[in-house]
Amino acid sequence: MLTVLVSGLAIGALYAATGLAYNIMFSTSKVLSVTTGHICMLGGVFGAYFMLDLGLPAPVALVGAVLVGAAFGLLTEVIAIRRVLARSDEHLWLLSTLALATMVQQAVGLWWGTEPRPFPRLADQDFTAGVLDQKYWLPIAAVVAMALGLEFFYRRTMYGKVFQAVSEDAFAARARGIATDRTRALSFAIAGALGGLAGFAAGQLTFAFFALGLTLTLYGFIALAVGGLGSNVGALVGGVALGLFQTLATYLFGGEYQQTIAVGLLMVVLLVKPEGLFGSKKVRPV
Amino acid sequence: MTTSSLPRLGTLAVGGILAVTLPFWVGDFYQLHLAALIGVYWVLISGLNLVVGYTGQLSIGHVGLLSIGSYAFAILVGRYGVDPLLTLALAGGLGGLCGFLLGLPSLRLPGFYFAMATMAFALIMAELSLAQGDLTGGGAGLPVPGFAAPFDTPTGFYWLVLLVAALITWMTWNVARLMWGRGLIALRDSEVAAAAVGVPIFRLKLTVFTFSGVTAGIGGALFASLQSYITPETFVFELGLFFFVCIIIGGRGSILGPFVGTVVLTALPEMVAPLAKLGNFFYGLLLLAVVLVVPEGIGHVIKSVMARLQKKGPEPKGLQPDIGRLAAAVRRGMRQDIQRGHAS
Amino acid sequence: MSTLVADTVSKRFGGVTALSNVSLELREGEIHGLIGPNGSGKTTLLNLLTGYYQVDEGDIRLDGESLARSPVQQRPRVGVARTFQKPRLLGSLSVLDNAMLGGWCETRAGFLETALALPRARREERALRDRAEELLHGVGLGYAIHRRASLLDHAEQRFLEIARGLVMRARFILLDEPAGGLTEGEIEHLASIVTALRDAGIGVLLVEHHTDFVFSVCDRVTTLNLGRMIKHATPAEVRSDPEVIRVYLGA
Repeated sequence: MLTVLVSGLAIGALYAATGLAYNIMFSTSKVLSVTTGHICMLGGVFGAYFMLDLGLPAPVALVGAVLVGAAFGLLTEVIAIRRVLARSDEHLWLLSTLALATMVQQAVGLWWGTEPRPFPRLADQDFTAGVLDQKYWLPIAAVVAMALGLEFFYRRTMYGKVFQAVSEDAFAARARGIATDRTRALSFAIAGALGGLAGFAAGQLTFAFFALGLTLTLYGFIALAVGGLGSNVGALVGGVALGLFQTLATYLFGGEYQQTIAVGLLMVVLLVKPEGLFGSKKVRPV
Repeated sequence: MTTSSLPRLGTLAVGGILAVTLPFWVGDFYQLHLAALIGVYWVLISGLNLVVGYTGQLSIGHVGLLSIGSYAFAILVGRYGVDPLLTLALAGGLGGLCGFLLGLPSLRLPGFYFAMATMAFALIMAELSLAQGDLTGGGAGLPVPGFAAPFDTPTGFYWLVLLVAALITWMTWNVARLMWGRGLIALRDSEVAAAAVGVPIFRLKLTVFTFSGVTAGIGGALFASLQSYITPETFVFELGLFFFVCIIIGGRGSILGPFVGTVVLTALPEMVAPLAKLGNFFYGLLLLAVVLVVPEGIGHVIKSVMARLQKKGPEPKGLQPDIGRLAAAVRRGMRQDIQRGHAS
Repeated sequence: MSTLVADTVSKRFGGVTALSNVSLELREGEIHGLIGPNGSGKTTLLNLLTGYYQVDEGDIRLDGESLARSPVQQRPRVGVARTFQKPRLLGSLSVLDNAMLGGWCETRAGFLETALALPRARREERALRDRAEELLHGVGLGYAIHRRASLLDHAEQRFLEIARGLVMRARFILLDEPAGGLTEGEIEHLASIVTALRDAGIGVLLVEHHTDFVFSVCDRVTTLNLGRMIKHATPAEVRSDPEVIRVYLGA
């Protein structure tokens, strides 16, 4: 039973991390990117590639995975967001990020293979540790670090304040001389880096698997919608709730209905409280 | 929504004759199979086109509705021996019911939420078809029987598909060119304008979505019969994405554009082997290129090029109200109004 | 006589009171002007009358029946049409299609009837097309009937919105700054159109900044300032009212 709870927490942490990545990009662009889950997928796949195929040590692989994530985040902004937002048709960003997500997923599938491949152990630990196993606590630690880091970034740093200004009113921010385009690009890079980190940390849990991206895009979004779009606390609570809910349900009813259960949770929350648990009513849903 | 002209009717007639006689002039059964597959896809896509292309609701999960029609056909005909043609209609009804039930909560959601809800629906259907092994054969899948004579040969089946596809295309064409089409496009382009003229937004969305469920169910039944064996793997999420891409690439608010999109995107990977290997990467690339370069879709580009070729001289300008005509028309409208009783 | 009435309505947004205790009676066969400085609540009042906002206090009545809780989509059914400051048209459709959209509420053909092109759907389509063409010629857009609406200039878009409201068989039509951005000649056309509508028995509400235009065509004028009504009278009386001159017209 304890294992169930801990693994639920761990997978929930990954959903929460995806939700956070959504939020970072949404705050500056008002875009919900379909590529969000794929960022984490890249972190896991490239982490495994750096260590298994290239034989790099874990810390180097971690830095590599974060860089790959950041690069992909930036690429998303440049290719799929910038030109599309300039044209201001509300549907187009959904199509362009969907297109990019499809391309990345298929490219990784062709290059890396469509079978999940195991992710190497990061710390020296045998497999008898049970609930203390690194595959559980690594993603949890990663998302805690992410959340604390983001909180510090938004509250204490100059750039964080710029982010918030753009998030509240991009038009006014531009009028005050903030380069909103550059801020948006940076936010995508940061989301990419953090997503890469989360994907890397959760690699032993999820394996390095090309199709993980789409699943995470959905579950991360559910975590976010449950917690409330735009709220980082909401993303954390939503992600953990979804992870626990899923593992408990799997434990009780078997693993065949994971998606059905996750979507059921989303539907119940959206029916009862459309803006999510921690969302403000003022944030207009996209 | 314009009146049909003679050249258009001529093109339509030639296209119709070519389509009907296709079994006599294609090279082999494989090409006939491909033509039937295009027709089957089009049955679903033409209904989906009203949802995506006209109403602007981005459903990426119609493959879930397709699978419902397919399994319904495989189970009812294969296991219970129900008449295939009757089952075709039943599959449409079931698809419509499921579309209705899916649309009821999800069509109230804003854009991205709706897209995610349809995607989740597709994933749930895949999950359920795997889990409900007693009904669906689980991962091993189910064999699917064909239709009875005269539709039991490849040629006969092709004609059945052609008939169904033509009927549904005609229906969507009617919807698009008459009052409903204007209402749907109003929902897509300006909900404010739609509300201002009294279009009941949710009811319209739900109606066309239900209709798209019917066509997906019918398409699914035909699809299953054409494949002759179905497993959960047959209905991968990417297939739903493919339907969606056909419409976006063909162009929103057009029937011909998405049809050309369907034909090209289905046939191209079959003809050009390297594209088949790239698979979804190719569709993603196409989608991205279209969104970035010609967001209105390729159909729209062709249309505007044609319009430019036909344009003769500058268009007349200058508002010149005809007050007598205006007053007469307004008075006539008001009289009819009083006769009908305005309270209705 | 048929009337559309705002009865001592108030509207607040958060802590800000946009309108307080304002009344206005729009009668059929009358042109009623609504003027006032920016932010005086003109458009808010129009949005209340047309159901885009709900009143906080007071009532909206049509021929004595309350409309205060009925949604926007209900207005066309009872014969209340409006235009927008920034015209809301469907750019990808033709001018004729845009005008015909105004007839949505009186078409009865359901989805299946339409899909199968049954007689009623075709009959309604023909009748609506005829009326829309007549009205488009009437407002002066006859030359552009098959043009894409996105290709229209600003004035043409405004006139098309009026035609759309007329296709609806509106008994009351509420125009939000119809003269904005129009040339002198186009404003003359507009004046002749609204006059013709009045003479045909339609009640016209003009929310307008162009005071010369308002005073020349309106039968009665209401002036708002800071969400309150400061004068309600004939154009001549409003024009010479010291309060109106002080807050709005200037010396």
